Amino acid sequence: MFSLPVWVAVLALVYLDFPIRVGTAAICAHGQECHAPSLADLFDRVIQQSSRVHGISSELHSDYEQYFFPSKNHIGKRKCHTYSILTPADKENAQRLGREELTEVILRLLGAWGDPLSQLHRSMTQDQNQDFNHYSSNKALEMSDMVHELRSGVTKVAEKMKLLGVISNALGYMSSPESLAPSSVSSSYERGDFNSIDHHDLLYCFRRDSNKVKNYLRILKCTTLPELDC
Amino acid sequence: MRRAVGVVYLNLHSFLFFHVLSLCLGYSPPGKPKLTSCRSPEKETFTCWWEPGSDGGLPTTYALYYRKENSDAVYECPDYHTAGENSCFFNKNDTSIWVNYNITVVATNALGSNFSDPVDVDVVYIVQPHTPENVTVTVMEDKDGPFLRVSWEPPRKADTRSGWITLIYELRVKLEGEEEWEEHRAGQQKMFNIFSLRSGGMYLVQVRCKPDHGFWSEWSSTTYIKVPDYFPRETSVWILIAVFSAFIFFILTWILNLKSNSVKHCLLPPVPGPKIKGFDKQLLKNGRSEEVFSALVVPGFPPTTSSDCEDLLVEYLEVYTPEEQELILEEGKDLQEGCLKSKGSPSDSDSGRGSCDSHTLLMEKCGEGEGKEEKHQERAQKGKRQQKHQTGWEEGDVSHTREDVLSPDMSEGRVKTWPSVFSPLPQYSSRPLDHQGSLETARQLCLSDSLFPPPSTSSHLSYNAKEGLALGSGQQEFYLGKKQTHPSNPQSQPRWHLQAHSDFNISSMDRKQAASGLQLPGFRSTEYVEVQRVNQEDMVILQPLFSSSCQRDGHLQIGQGEDYSKVKGVDSGNMLLLQREVEVKREEEDGDRYSCDIQDRVTESCYTTSTAASSQVTGKPTSCAGTAMPVQEEMVLAANGYVDAATMLL
Repeated sequence: MFSLPVWVAVLALVYLDFPIRVGTAAICAHGQECHAPSLADLFDRVIQQSSRVHGISSELHSDYEQYFFPSKNHIGKRKCHTYSILTPADKENAQRLGREELTEVILRLLGAWGDPLSQLHRSMTQDQNQDFNHYSSNKALEMSDMVHELRSGVTKVAEKMKLLGVISNALGYMSSPESLAPSSVSSSYERGDFNSIDHHDLLYCFRRDSNKVKNYLRILKCTTLPELDC
Repeated sequence: MRRAVGVVYLNLHSFLFFHVLSLCLGYSPPGKPKLTSCRSPEKETFTCWWEPGSDGGLPTTYALYYRKENSDAVYECPDYHTAGENSCFFNKNDTSIWVNYNITVVATNALGSNFSDPVDVDVVYIVQPHTPENVTVTVMEDKDGPFLRVSWEPPRKADTRSGWITLIYELRVKLEGEEEWEEHRAGQQKMFNIFSLRSGGMYLVQVRCKPDHGFWSEWSSTTYIKVPDYFPRETSVWILIAVFSAFIFFILTWILNLKSNSVKHCLLPPVPGPKIKGFDKQLLKNGRSEEVFSALVVPGFPPTTSSDCEDLLVEYLEVYTPEEQELILEEGKDLQEGCLKSKGSPSDSDSGRGSCDSHTLLMEKCGEGEGKEEKHQERAQKGKRQQKHQTGWEEGDVSHTREDVLSPDMSEGRVKTWPSVFSPLPQYSSRPLDHQGSLETARQLCLSDSLFPPPSTSSHLSYNAKEGLALGSGQQEFYLGKKQTHPSNPQSQPRWHLQAHSDFNISSMDRKQAASGLQLPGFRSTEYVEVQRVNQEDMVILQPLFSSSCQRDGHLQIGQGEDYSKVKGVDSGNMLLLQREVEVKREEEDGDRYSCDIQDRVTESCYTTSTAASSQVTGKPTSCAGTAMPVQEEMVLAANGYVDAATMLL
C-alpha cells in the first residue's frame, strides 16, 4: 500500500534507530560471547565523565561570577553542605586512605549532590533573569544527569573491583547512598528558595567537589592499574 | 597622678612630634602592598608573591597572613625566604588542597602599616607546573621519508604516576630561521611524531605542559635537530614531468629543424636579391669597384643610334638555309632578346626580324661566310663565337653573320671562313687601355677563328679565345661561361652575350694565346674584314669584305688583296694588330647567303680603328697604315651595321 521510498525510509529509520536504543546490548545478544568492559575501560569512562562534569560546573560557576559577582571577595563565609564528608586534602592523605575508602568517598560525594543539582536546575528555570538562567538551567540539567550517571558508573567500577578482588567486600554504604547526604544540607535544600547568591555558592561548592571526584578517581585508577597513563 | 599624666602627655607629644617631624621630612606610612600571584608547581606546595607599595621613605616590613576556610585562625607565612624576596612559601604541611586560603599582606614601617587586599586562593586552581624535562628529538625513517619523534618527561616534581596530577602537553616546532612556530597538542602522551619535514633542515622543538585545570608551564629549552638530506617523493613526480616535457621539447625542436626552411620561408620571407643586369656578386667580392661598375654598364643603354645599329646588327644572324633558318629563327629570337634596342636605322626597313634584318639577309644570301664584321664587344669575343662555331657548324650554323664579320658561315660540318680584312686597329685613347686591348684581342680571336674554321680548331680556338678572353676580368669569364651553357644556339648566344657585354674587359690578354689561337694550323681561309664602324664604346665593328664574287653557291671569292684577317695581336696601345696575309682563301658553306651588297661597300682592306678622335695608324708592319683615315672617314656605320662610307666613330 505504501510506495517503495516510504518503505525504504521506514526501514532506514528502524535500522538507524535500532543501534541507538539497543546500545551495547546488541553486541551481547543471542548468547554471543560478550565481553564486559574491562576495569581499565570502566575507569576511563568514569574519568571522562567526571572530567566533563567538572568542566560544566566550572563554566557555570564562571558564568555566575561574571554576571552577578564582579568582586571576588564574596566567598568568605560559605559553607558547602558536603563539608561533613571528610575528604583527603592532600596527596599523602589521599594515598593513605586506600582504595575502598577512596571509592566510598567518591560515592558519597556523588550521592550528596544528586538532589541539590536537581533543585538548582529547578531554581534556575524559575529565576527572573531569563536570558542567563535559560542558558544556565540547561547546563544545570545536564550536570545533574551526568552526576547521576557518574554515580552509577563509579558503582559499577567498585563492583568490578570487588569482582577482581582489588577491594574487599566490606563496603556497607553502597547499599544506601541516600543516607550519605548530610541532614543539614538536605534541610536547607528542602526550603526551596534559592536565590542567585545561593546558586553561586552552590556552584562553587559543586565545582570543588567535582574536582575532588575526578582527582580521587584518577588516584584510584593509577593505584589499581598503574601501567596506564599514570 | 600628675606625673602619669605628664608622662602620657610627654609620650603623646613625642609621638606627635615624631610624626609631624616625619611628615615634614617627607616620610609616610607604607603604601599598600599587592599580592601579585600565587602558584603551585605540583599541587602540593605553593608560593605567593606580593608587590610592595611605596615604603614611605622608611624601612618597611612585610608580613603575610592567611586564614583557612571555615576557620578563624590567622596564621602568618611560614617561610618568607625560600621563594625569594616578597614571597611566602607554603610547604606541604601548610598546604591544603580544596581549601580556600584568605591571604593578606601587611606592610609596616615606623609610621604605620598598610594592609593589602585579601586574596582567596584555592591551590587546585593555581597549579603551574615546571617545564617538561628530558626533551629528546630523534629522526626516524618511514616509507614516506624521515620524521621526528619527540619524547619528554613530566617535570620532576609533578606526581603524575600516582594520578595526583594530570598533565597535558603541548609542543611547538619551527625551522631554523623561520618566525612562526607550529604548535601541536599532545594530550597526556609523552611522545609525538612530526612528519613532512624539509630535507636537510634544522628544526627547533619545545615542549610545555599544563594540568587539566591550571596554567601552562614555561616552554622547555630549545632542542635542535637536523634532518638528513633525503629525496622527497613529490620531487620524483616533478622530475618525471620535467623529463617528459624535455623529451617533447626535443622532438619539437627536431621537427622544427627539419622543416626549418619552410618555417623560415613562412616567418622570414626571403628578401629578393638584386636582379640587376650586369651585377656580379663575385666581381663585387673580388674585383675592384671600377670593374664592378663597368660590368654594370649595359651596352646599348641608353640606346643611341650607333648602338641601335649594333643591336640591329645583332639581329642579323639569320641564315637562309632550311636548317639555318631554324637557327636563324632561334638566333633571331636570341637576338631580339639580347638586343637592347632595336631602332630602325635609316637603312633598315625590315620589320620581321628587326631592323637589322635586311642587311643580314643580304649577307646571308651571299652564302658566304661573309658576315658583317661588327665590332660588338660581344662579337669581339671570339671565344664565344668559337663556341657558336663549334656547335653551330655542326648544326649548320648560319647566322653569325653580320655581327660577326669574323664568324664564318657554316654549313653542316663545314666551316666557312671569312675573308678577313684587317686593319690596324686604332688606339682607343678614351678608353681604358685594358678595354681596348681586350677588345682587340677579342677581335683577333674572332678573326682567327674565321681563319681556322674546323670545329676542332675552332673549338681549340674557342677555347683559347675563351681563355684569352677569360683572362683579366672575371666578368668576362662570367659571360663566357654563360655562353657556353647554351648549346642550342652557341652562335647566337655568344653573340648575344657579346653584344650585351658592354664592357669587354680583357685587361690582360695573353697575346700568346691569342696568337696561338691565331696560329692554329689547319684550314685557312681568309676573309676580308672591313671596319664597319666604331661604336660608342670605341669598338671596332668589322664586317667582312666581299668581293664582287659574292656568289650564291657559297663560294665567296675573296677579293685579291691583302688579307688582314689575321690578328697578330694586341699591342700595348690597345691596337689590334692585324696580320697581312697574301693568301686568301675562303671556304664557304652552302646555303650561305650573303648579301652581295656588302661587296659594294667593300672598302679597302686596310682599316684601322682608333679611339675617339685620334685615328692612329700604327706603324706596325702588320697593320695597314695610311689608308686608315680616309677609310675611316668613309665608313659609315649604318644602323644595320654596314659600313659604307666609312666614318669612324671615334
